[in-house]
Amino acid sequence: MLKVLIPTIMLFPTIWLSSPKWLWTATTAHSLLIALVSLAWLKWTSETGWAASNMYLATDPLSTPLLVLTCWLLPLMILASQNHITPEPISRQRLNITLLASLQTFLIMAFGATEMIMFYIMFEATLIPTLIIITRWGNQTERLNAGTYFLFYTLAGSLPLLVALLLLQQSTGTLSMLILQYSQPLTLQSWGHKIWWAGCLIAFLVKMPLYGVHLWLPKAHVEAPVAGSMVLAAVLLKLGGYGMMRMMVMLDPLSKELAYPFIILALWGIIMTGSICLRQTDLKSLIAYSSVSHMGLVAGGILVQTPWGFTGAIILMIAHGLVSSALFCLANTAYERTHSRTMILARGLQMIFPLTAVWWFVANLANLALPPLPNLMGELMIITTMFNWSPWTITLTGTGTLITAGYSLYLFLMSQRGPAPSHIMGLSPFHTREHLLMVMHLVPVLLLITKPELMWGWCH
Amino acid sequence: MADYKEAYLATRPKTLDPAEYFNLSPDYRRTEEERAALRSRLKRHYLVQLNNPHRKELIEDPALTRWTYARTSNIYPNFRPTPKTSLLGGLFGVVPLFVLYFVFKTDRDKREDKIKAGNYERPYKLSS
Repeated sequence: MLKVLIPTIMLFPTIWLSSPKWLWTATTAHSLLIALVSLAWLKWTSETGWAASNMYLATDPLSTPLLVLTCWLLPLMILASQNHITPEPISRQRLNITLLASLQTFLIMAFGATEMIMFYIMFEATLIPTLIIITRWGNQTERLNAGTYFLFYTLAGSLPLLVALLLLQQSTGTLSMLILQYSQPLTLQSWGHKIWWAGCLIAFLVKMPLYGVHLWLPKAHVEAPVAGSMVLAAVLLKLGGYGMMRMMVMLDPLSKELAYPFIILALWGIIMTGSICLRQTDLKSLIAYSSVSHMGLVAGGILVQTPWGFTGAIILMIAHGLVSSALFCLANTAYERTHSRTMILARGLQMIFPLTAVWWFVANLANLALPPLPNLMGELMIITTMFNWSPWTITLTGTGTLITAGYSLYLFLMSQRGPAPSHIMGLSPFHTREHLLMVMHLVPVLLLITKPELMWGWCH
Repeated sequence: MADYKEAYLATRPKTLDPAEYFNLSPDYRRTEEERAALRSRLKRHYLVQLNNPHRKELIEDPALTRWTYARTSNIYPNFRPTPKTSLLGGLFGVVPLFVLYFVFKTDRDKREDKIKAGNYERPYKLSS
């Protein structure tokens, strides 16, 4: 763990002491080396569940895929933001990469935390760099509104979590996940206990996001610059899922009855947000709502608390992280050329940019969960376990799959096919950097088809 | 209207043909001329931008900007609770949650009763 954490902290001297000519090259290379070192975590040698380097930081098969995803994403974020940040003064460029690196540090410590309080502190700490990135480098005036929604939704959801964690500490004496997994099931009958149960989960449900409290997500994703959108879609949503999976261990047996409203919200949210996607005119907004839809499926899979549900949730989180981030990068390439996010404006791109059309095609096929990509494997496991939970869910999840296919194809056809606008002139050709970015997003998704054991979690 | 001369060898457009305006009032003719002047000014502005060899960016279409603004950022100020919107909101946002809760709860309670009575046969071999 330290062999990744200390190089990540040493990114700060790299950022501030590099000469301006070498800043982007040095930070991209440094973060890529960290990402390659983090792949060593995937080798699970420990006989117990956790591979612990000390008492406070440990990895286990649930957090390892998410940690590797986080470390993999930092060089991609730096590559993606290079184009629109480089014209700024050098200290602001350094500040931007510093915010990305600090976000990375908090995320590594959050996913590797063994104490729930440390996880909570890191969960909250990731809000600040993201807020600064959204409000400082976003492009429209609505970014202030977006930052406010993002901050206050998450804070309002997580304050009950703090209270709930402190109550848990009072009653069990410890908050270390290593110990809590072996604790006796708590006797929870009174209304106070039910409110405690809700307090534990609301923070993560807001972060996931669940359908009823998802309003912050389209705003934040649309107004954020590309690096902000990438890290939001790929990792920060998964913080919510990861937190839920850790908390569910201790929350039985109340979850059997109390989870119904949230499962229903998640399932209905899949259909509602999928339908909203079909009516969107803004490119990034469509991808943001599709994130809500996929995360609704993940939330449903986690809340039914079966091994297949957890496994499907982790697989879908990893696959969705990579694919959603890839789609945001593609949307950003269109935005940088036309300075507009309207879909009907950037049409017919297949004739103009054929290779990029390949990336659009693969990313959209992955989004609509084409077999044998891991998106489908995760979705299938979740759909199967929900069918086992109650056979009537197949109506909702099946319709949701149909609508997902519908809007993914809509996105592809709107951006690639059709007549190109006749007055678009300055479409600069694609940089090698942008093709490299897309390859680094999509090749891991394709490689994960061959070894899904890396993502399965500890249930198998 | 009196000082319009068509280009050499071009035909006069139908909207500016005096024979079409034979029975129309001078007021109407004046408004039509003003509208034609506005249209040609806008078209000239567009063509100047289109044929400018030094232009590198997109030509901004104010109608498109207004349309996207109306569809994305200007929804809530124009929302008013009417019987129709309340019905739609309730029908798609509130009622399904209760219906689904009812469906899932009864289905799972029936299964739970059968398990407790001991006569639930599993139709599929799902490891779940």
